[in-house]
Amino acid sequence: MTVINTGRKRRLTTYFLREHGGNLLFMLPAFALFAFVELIPFLQSIPISFTDKKAIFAKAWNYVGFSNYAKLITNRTFQDTFLHTAHFTLIYILGANLMGLMLALMIWRGSRLNNLVRTLLFMPFTVSLVASTKVWSYVYTDVLMPITGQPSPLGLTSQVIPGLAVIAIWRDMGYCMLIYIAGLQSIPLEYYEAASVEGASWWTKFFRITVPMLMPAITSNVTLILAWGLRCFDYSQMVITMKAAKTTAVFVYEYIFGNSRAGIGQAAAIILTLVLVVLTNVITVILRRREVEL
Amino acid sequence: MTVKAAAAKRPMSASARKARNLNILRIAALAIIVIIVLIPFYISFLYSIKTHSDISLNRLAWPQNPTLDNYRRVINENKYVGIGFKNSLLTTIPTVVILLFATSMASYVLARNSGPFYKVMYSIFISGVLVPFQCIMLPLYMNIYNLGLVSTNLGFILARSGLQVSISVLAITGFVKGIPRELEQAAAIDGCGKFGTFWRIVFPLMMPINVTQGVLNTLYVWNDYSTAVVLLRDDSSRTLPLAQIIYFGENMSELNLAFAFFMLAMLPVLVLYLCTQRFIVSGIMSGAVKG
Repeated sequence: MTVINTGRKRRLTTYFLREHGGNLLFMLPAFALFAFVELIPFLQSIPISFTDKKAIFAKAWNYVGFSNYAKLITNRTFQDTFLHTAHFTLIYILGANLMGLMLALMIWRGSRLNNLVRTLLFMPFTVSLVASTKVWSYVYTDVLMPITGQPSPLGLTSQVIPGLAVIAIWRDMGYCMLIYIAGLQSIPLEYYEAASVEGASWWTKFFRITVPMLMPAITSNVTLILAWGLRCFDYSQMVITMKAAKTTAVFVYEYIFGNSRAGIGQAAAIILTLVLVVLTNVITVILRRREVEL
Repeated sequence: MTVKAAAAKRPMSASARKARNLNILRIAALAIIVIIVLIPFYISFLYSIKTHSDISLNRLAWPQNPTLDNYRRVINENKYVGIGFKNSLLTTIPTVVILLFATSMASYVLARNSGPFYKVMYSIFISGVLVPFQCIMLPLYMNIYNLGLVSTNLGFILARSGLQVSISVLAITGFVKGIPRELEQAAAIDGCGKFGTFWRIVFPLMMPINVTQGVLNTLYVWNDYSTAVVLLRDDSSRTLPLAQIIYFGENMSELNLAFAFFMLAMLPVLVLYLCTQRFIVSGIMSGAVKG
């Protein structure tokens, strides 16, 4: 080990460099795209949130410390949009996951019928969010109103958020379902057989075997839907006349591109990002802990 | 009939009967759920083949004269259908191709190297899934504006490619970790270089995840609204979702035409999904939980 002559050392170094250089070259295109679109703009976005910048290309602006953040936290409109976003996300997470899990339990075994049902239930995922909202506004008025006698939730202040969440659940529960099916298929059948021998009921097996074993899938689905829910923009934008449906993402868009209050809009976007990062980590830690308990 | 009769004759245990009844119940429930899930598709199709008078008479009834005339009219009368299709195709295809090569190469390196440098790189790559578009929207818009790429296909391609890198790397790296290394090692012993090994051995093995991620990326880009509304400011640069929404706002009275436009915009990706669904369904199932 200690008697490495210089020639061999040099050979090792060049070998290492070549190995490393090739790897860097392989990562370069993806990293360049990522840096240009995500990394650099993210680093630029933080200082902007501490300025009183108004128009996007305004030349004159000052650093104002945390005053944008202080203003936002006490701003009634911002609080409202944040509550709308949280309300939407909560229904969306619960609905997409419970529906996805229920469907997965019904069709997790491989069979021709089950495969067909999986294909059909994933179909809504191919429709754009904006088209989904437009089409659903007619489902609400033309199909559901004659049956239930209720007016479309998209026109009611108190129901527009649940109304939009239903559309999001319709669109994405198929995605959650596929991930739950993968989770269910990876659970060894012996566990259930052993539990049956001991006389465990369906519910006992569900809560003692299925749910703990599904924890990685639950973590993956909950954090994914959380991220999609908090950045909700398209759905809200489609019912723009409804103030009760305005989300934080729409607030950010309006402040930056509509109201020429770029500094405040950017601060609101940073708050949204912080909430997403913190919540994702908290949820992951809580759910991971349950994973280990088994 | 004969099968049924035979099944009825055979004495059935109580538990087998219970299982059969449960299965019938399950299939009935699935049928109801599938019908509910497909209602929006049915409505879109129904409205798109109705004449103007049919649609105002009774919306849900099957049309007296089903017609494809709405499709012809919306294509001929609304120039934004053509513009939208052209822009959506010219942005979606390059984006998906760029991502196919860029992210499969990066993911290969990230999956096969475990040093601290590569761990950090992986974390940086996938941290992008935690940054909402609204956070980077303003600086990204300014940078693209300064490059003179606002309202151009190229600007939109760059932005959409960058936005899909994180999720693609996450999915593909998980998949590559599951590919055995033996083939690559054999190729290396045979004197195959890094590039050769990747293109000849690994890339073909990545086909299932690349198809899955390619179709998902197609869906995300084809259906994108929030990025398009920021970056595509000229009428002539509109992609399909923008064109649809603007058309819808201007033609509330002609629902049949608006829905024909919806159907036209939806069909290409729906057909793509149905053709590749075998890969998509298994690809999402295999990649997701590992990540």
